[in-house]
Amino acid sequence: MPDRRYETLVLLHADLGEPGAKELAERVKKLIEDQGGIVGQVQEWGLRDLAYVLAKQRRAFYVLFEYRSTPKALLEIERNLKLMDRVLRFVSVRQAENAPPTPPRPVAARRPEREESEFEGAAEFEGLNEEVP
Amino acid sequence: MAERERGERRGKAEGRGFRRRGMGRRKVCRFCADKSMLIDYKDARVLGTFLSERGKILPSRITGNCARHQRHLTLAIKRARTVALLPFSAAYP
Repeated sequence: MPDRRYETLVLLHADLGEPGAKELAERVKKLIEDQGGIVGQVQEWGLRDLAYVLAKQRRAFYVLFEYRSTPKALLEIERNLKLMDRVLRFVSVRQAENAPPTPPRPVAARRPEREESEFEGAAEFEGLNEEVP
Repeated sequence: MAERERGERRGKAEGRGFRRRGMGRRKVCRFCADKSMLIDYKDARVLGTFLSERGKILPSRITGNCARHQRHLTLAIKRARTVALLPFSAAYP
C-alpha cells in the first residue's frame, strides 16, 4: 500500500504539565513509528487556551505530528489515540504531497493579514474565545 | 483562472439586484486575490476573520469569497473547531 502524507494535531491534557506532555508526545511519536510511519517534524505549540471548555479544561497542550504512513496504519494510530485518555482530542488530515511543511508555530508565523495579526499575543489567541462566564 | 470566472458569475447571486448599478464595489475573493494565502485549519488567526461575532461562519455573500474557497474555508473552520482552535459558538455578543 502506498504511504501517504498525513498530519495529526493532538490535544493533551493540561494536567500532564510540560514534562508529562513531552513524554506523551514522545509516546505518540513511537506509536506512529511502530505502525510503520515515518515521522517528519513534530511541533509542540505548548499550552494554549481552548476556544471552548473541553473535558472541563480551558487549556491544553497542542502537538502536531507530520508523518507518512499507509491509510491502514493511520486507522490504527487513530484507534490508539482514542484509547489514550490523556489525549483530549485529535484531528488527522491528509496533506498534499507537494504541500510545504507547516512553518513553526503557524498561528503566529502566517503572513500578517490584518494589522492586529502583528501583535505579540499570537500564541494566546485572538479574542474569539471569550468564555461564557 | 477558474476561480476568477466563478467570481464573475457570482455577481448575480450577490442578491443586490441583477446588474450591479455602479454603486458598491464587487468584493474579490481574498484567497484568489492573494495566492500565497493558504487555507489551513491550524491558522485560527485567518479563519477567525471569517467568523461572525457569534462564531458563525460568514456567508460568502458577505465575505466575497468564491465558492471554491468558501468550501475549503468551511472545512478548515470545522476542523479547527473540533480541536478547539475556534469556537462553535462564542459568548453572547
